[in-house]
Amino acid sequence: MTNITIPSGRKLRIAAFLAVMGPGIIAGLSDDDPAGITTYSQLGAQFGYRMLWVLVVSTFALIVFQDLGARIGVVTRQGLIGLVRQKYGARAGSFSAVALILANLGTMTAEFAGVAAAGQLFGISRYITVPLTGVFISALVLRGTFKKAERVFFVLSAVFISYVIAGFMSHPHWGAAFRGMVVPSMPFNRGAINIATATLGTTLAPWGLAFIQSYAVDKRLTRADLKLLRADVWVGSLLTGIIGFFVIVTCAATLNQEHITNITDASQAARALQPLAGTLAKDIFAIGIIGAALLAASILPLSTAYSVSDLTGSPAALDDKFEEAPLFYLTFAAITDVAGGLIMIPGVSLIWILISSQILNAILLLPLLAYMFGISRDKKLMGEFVAGNRALSLYGAIIAIVAICVAAQFWFIFNL
Amino acid sequence: MKRPSVSPINTVAKRLVGRSDLLITRKSVRDSLVSLAGLIGRPVLDPEGLEIGRLVDVVVRHGQETYPPVSGLIVKVSNRKLFINGARISKLTPSSITLSSTKIDFEPFSRRPGESLLDADVLDHQIVDVDGLRVVRTSDLYLAPFNKEIRVVGVDISFVSFLRRLFPGSLSRRPTPDHVIDWASVASLTDSTGVVRTSSTRSALSQLRPADLADLIEDLAGREQGALIELLDPDLAADVLEEMEDDELEGLLRGLSAERSAELLSLMEPDESAEVLRDLDDEHRESILSAMESTTAKQLRHLVSFDEALAGGIMTTHILIVKASDSVAAALQLLVENRERESSDGVVVVDGKGKLLDHIQTVELIAASAESLVSELIAKPYPTAVTSETPIAEVVEEFSNNRGSSIIVIDEKNKPIGRILADDLVDALSRNRGLFSQGGVARS
Repeated sequence: MTNITIPSGRKLRIAAFLAVMGPGIIAGLSDDDPAGITTYSQLGAQFGYRMLWVLVVSTFALIVFQDLGARIGVVTRQGLIGLVRQKYGARAGSFSAVALILANLGTMTAEFAGVAAAGQLFGISRYITVPLTGVFISALVLRGTFKKAERVFFVLSAVFISYVIAGFMSHPHWGAAFRGMVVPSMPFNRGAINIATATLGTTLAPWGLAFIQSYAVDKRLTRADLKLLRADVWVGSLLTGIIGFFVIVTCAATLNQEHITNITDASQAARALQPLAGTLAKDIFAIGIIGAALLAASILPLSTAYSVSDLTGSPAALDDKFEEAPLFYLTFAAITDVAGGLIMIPGVSLIWILISSQILNAILLLPLLAYMFGISRDKKLMGEFVAGNRALSLYGAIIAIVAICVAAQFWFIFNL
Repeated sequence: MKRPSVSPINTVAKRLVGRSDLLITRKSVRDSLVSLAGLIGRPVLDPEGLEIGRLVDVVVRHGQETYPPVSGLIVKVSNRKLFINGARISKLTPSSITLSSTKIDFEPFSRRPGESLLDADVLDHQIVDVDGLRVVRTSDLYLAPFNKEIRVVGVDISFVSFLRRLFPGSLSRRPTPDHVIDWASVASLTDSTGVVRTSSTRSALSQLRPADLADLIEDLAGREQGALIELLDPDLAADVLEEMEDDELEGLLRGLSAERSAELLSLMEPDESAEVLRDLDDEHRESILSAMESTTAKQLRHLVSFDEALAGGIMTTHILIVKASDSVAAALQLLVENRERESSDGVVVVDGKGKLLDHIQTVELIAASAESLVSELIAKPYPTAVTSETPIAEVVEEFSNNRGSSIIVIDEKNKPIGRILADDLVDALSRNRGLFSQGGVARS
């Protein structure tokens, strides 16, 4: 009787993968939000194919740290902020949470701005698109159950295919693109450093790191699911990089060729595409922006709400009712309403909110990565999943790259 | 996920009001409370008031006492961490600790069993509030002199106390014991061995229903899950495991040793353990089975080999079989011996060749005279039987046709090999519910 056959094993395994699928793909793709698309467009428009390697490095960093976040979430069954509080104390936990809330609020404003700008490309006023977006994401998270919300996230993710289509429509120079991916080169000036840091920062966003961990906890994934979850995280992170690649080559093949380099938001990139790649390419690009914004705008308040509940020590889940997790839902509502409200104020300049939230994200990223580094090597927390020396040196190298970028950016800010 | 319907804070508040025996409500204790979070990093002084070093952590000893006494301090003296025996403490204030003698024999600290470090193991960690039935995070711990020693008297779980710690200076040290749980009702699950074994915790946990314990375990972090299971008596632990969600259980078993898993799975109902084992990967399953006693392992291997969608996959092999020639007294004796099991509602009667004749209820046996033979009780209605290859859908049909509480499973030679109870069927159906309907279950 040693030969035990499990009936329909393969079928079960596929079903298991579908059940676990999601967190990695959702967390990864939501990094390709309007702010991300803007950054990628700038990279392509200003530097052509030359700096594609920055995206390759960023994607690699994303894979490594999303993978780590997923593992920490599954093994410790606690969110990142809760663990920081436990391991590094009340002040470190609170600092991370407050910085995350502020940065997320700023990023959320950027998502609404993305929707508003893309809507205007189709001639729809922001006073229609922004409230609609707010209602949509609130309804999704507050009214639906976990499974329903996840399904909608998936549909939203599908919108990203539009960037691939736009990429092919722009007839890029594939050889040059490949060369840009593998041969690192960049001019040493403020613009190039800024865009490199921004690319790293928008790909490896703090809220994405906090989200993947909390989501794995909320979805009650166990160690048995870890293999599948990691596959999911790798696929999601890789997709994020691939989408970014197509945005960059689209802009490199069109805007850069025509020396249109002064892109300040993603919808501008879409508009600039029109004469070069046709109206259809513009529309497809704009639809991509709206989908990206909706996905990120659903995840951002969620990530914030998870983190706040985690800090207070009352872990919350999407399936909880309002009475069970008031703090969770109030945080969600506050982030959504404040960000939406800011966009609705007529004549308000959003540029400083966007810039300061990007800077805050960069500042926050370093300690968060360092905390994750510390948690990953903590035998007490990670048990058999504790990181070995090779993994640790990999994490260390990525943290060093981020540190150099952030330092270089600050150097430019304070010296010019 | 089941949660208490009352809001957590209310539960605690009610408990505070309701329980006058709560130590922290006594005025003498309340006036001398010291916040642990505020004390960490504060100076440790000699009798003259000169600073010896700074407090790094407080060590407590768990034993029979409800409120664990401080057994020592870890003090940082010129960049070295040293241990000072708790008996040397002469005065404890919110901002400093004074020792009783200038001559201190410092020892390097090594953790002893049954001790835990309050800052490193408990503060800001998840703990189980046994009364409130939930997992909470410790905001602060309160120390106070009581019964000749300095003891941990309460665990603060309020967010206000957490925020208070962010303030600078003495504000951060002022006790705010508004939502405090008695240490006696807390299961903190983190010391070097993973478990704080307080007798009170253990007994408090054993008062809980297995289903509530299962919910608690599912809420806990990975490491603590195993620790809580270790804290329970094996029989209770096995009951708890039966109540857990399948994939949760799978994760939990990964955290336990093969021997412990084997022990617990042997204590569970065979059909439940077979179901769990079926979900494990081959290697893990084999390691657990080989740690089991051989007859149990053989039985489980057999069960695991059945398809989940067939009767054999959901049946329990625990049935009580008597021969028709046995006496009623012997049948009753068998029932009494197995009273712990689910199967105690009757016995299965077989003929001399082991073939199924009837299922006789306990009530019928009691009503009959003790000397009479079981064969005299065999009568209509005869029990419904299915084979191990019968699809679940047909089993359901049989159930609804016969309205019984169980169905007997027989092999091809008409010998009884197991039984399907109504609740096994309910489990099997709810597991497969996703296949039949879309709504209802929020989380798989």
